[in-house]
Amino acid sequence: MFFSTPSLKRAIFILFVMALFSAPLFVKSDYHLTVLIGALYGAYICVCWNLAAGYAGLFSLGHQAFLGLGAYTSTILFIKYEITPWVGMFVGGIIAAVFGSFITFVCYRYRVKGMFFAVATLAFGFLLQALFMTWDYVNASTGIWLTLQNKPQNFFFMARAPYYWVICGLLVISLLITYCLERSRLGYYMVAIREDEDVAESLGVNSSKSKVIVMALSAFLTALGGTFYAQFYLYISPACVLSMDPLITMQVGTLVGGSGTLFGPVIGWAFFSLLGEYLRGLPFGGTAVGVISRIIWGLSLLLVILFLPTGMIGLGRKLVGLLPWIRKKASIRETGS
Amino acid sequence: MEGVGAQKKARGSMGLLKLSKLSKSFGGLQAVKEVNLEINQGEIFGLIGPNGSGKTTLFNLISGALRLTEGSIRFREEEISKLKPHEICKRGIARTFQIARPFADVSAYENVIIGALNQASSVSTAARITDEVLSLTHLLNKKNVNGKNLTIPERRRLELARSLATQPKLLMLDEPMAGLTPTEVEEMGELLRRIRDMGITILIIEHILQAVMTLSDRIAVLNYGQKIAEGTPEEIGRDQKVVEAYLGEEYVIADS
Repeated sequence: MFFSTPSLKRAIFILFVMALFSAPLFVKSDYHLTVLIGALYGAYICVCWNLAAGYAGLFSLGHQAFLGLGAYTSTILFIKYEITPWVGMFVGGIIAAVFGSFITFVCYRYRVKGMFFAVATLAFGFLLQALFMTWDYVNASTGIWLTLQNKPQNFFFMARAPYYWVICGLLVISLLITYCLERSRLGYYMVAIREDEDVAESLGVNSSKSKVIVMALSAFLTALGGTFYAQFYLYISPACVLSMDPLITMQVGTLVGGSGTLFGPVIGWAFFSLLGEYLRGLPFGGTAVGVISRIIWGLSLLLVILFLPTGMIGLGRKLVGLLPWIRKKASIRETGS
Repeated sequence: MEGVGAQKKARGSMGLLKLSKLSKSFGGLQAVKEVNLEINQGEIFGLIGPNGSGKTTLFNLISGALRLTEGSIRFREEEISKLKPHEICKRGIARTFQIARPFADVSAYENVIIGALNQASSVSTAARITDEVLSLTHLLNKKNVNGKNLTIPERRRLELARSLATQPKLLMLDEPMAGLTPTEVEEMGELLRRIRDMGITILIIEHILQAVMTLSDRIAVLNYGQKIAEGTPEEIGRDQKVVEAYLGEEYVIADS
């Protein structure tokens, strides 16, 4: 657990935040900023998913529903009722939190756990996607376009940099929330529940209440990401924000980087989106690029999951463990001598 | 020690836990049959009986892990038989398990602090209680060792520490001395006496009869889910029914 010494984690975090926010000063090209924004957005939704799946053990396969709820709520409120997306964002978050709490509560009330819970959330995700694909009020499967305008008060910016800073802010906030959760009473309860739920209950841990709270938090934050998606990419449809694609992002980033850890999702997704960008640049020509990049992508995901079950954070710990002074600290932890 | 078990030392005065006609059936199998028991505050109460006599089932019923079929369980005058395990823990009943189940991949310290959070209002208060409890159970020097890397006696002490940290009024121990050497058994006995002196009532299932007889103020004996005897250790030692339950009817014990 070398990375969990508070001062080291804090130092890494502060450096990370500084580097992050200063990037637009060095990166001027719109294309590069867009790529970075895309990567940060992916990392953000990974961190959100990690709260539910990594920390609370809620393997949600329907988390894209919260993304969609966020995106659609703020967009509909803006287009039909002229409510600024800055406010619509929070309304969407609350709606997502309510849905998330409800599903989790109902499942745990009826002992729907583990993989069965995953299937229940999977069903929920498909249900919502199907609903939005046929509901005319939200323009069904055609989707909704947003017009870019110079109105920061309505969450529209003409330049890329402000969007970059917004997603940075969201990412940093979600990481701070994760950090605080780890150290809080709820964080300890999550550890107990993950380790042995029956024993945890006998020690006074209300496992269903704890899970509901974390799921609500995760759903809320994910929905905020949905609004960001709408405001930046300016087009939402059930195929973009309610399909399996964002879910695959959330899972890949988190599982590859190390679920249940602070930086895992970020590192995992950073690795994968860079890999993706690199592959896209390879001279295979034509549609072959898309196909081959997906194959290589899938293969590397498979390899990581088979051989590095603790993700890249686990690999990082193993590598750092080769340094002698950290090795010594580890042996004290192992044997207590 | 201010945090844990600060109560009046009124021994054997008040009925803390009352089991009335408690029964539990699993389909056709009756695991516990009409057990009546009353545990008084401040005593060490031993529960003995052959394997399969329903002792652990009784614990599971009291702690809320199992739902009873019939009867009632009253703790401090409150009916607790319909409550969930975590609610029962909040009311002051803690239990350990027959096979020690520490949280394997976290440290002893983290194990105990999770228990401490049961009553502690903040993480820092819980931290203080954790240190106190670890010191009482002689685990302070192992506080950063992961659960899976502890020895058996250390795991038993950790189970005890974790349950103690929840600040229980009634501590239920399921064979806390199993697998310990005679010296370790004596140390554990000493520890339990100290816990009792802090005002915590102890209900203990144990097979090491020597230890249970010397430790307990009173003892109840279960056989096939029914209570067949109850009394002081001396009375139990002389009870013919108890001897028969353990050794079978052919044996006769010479008067001791």
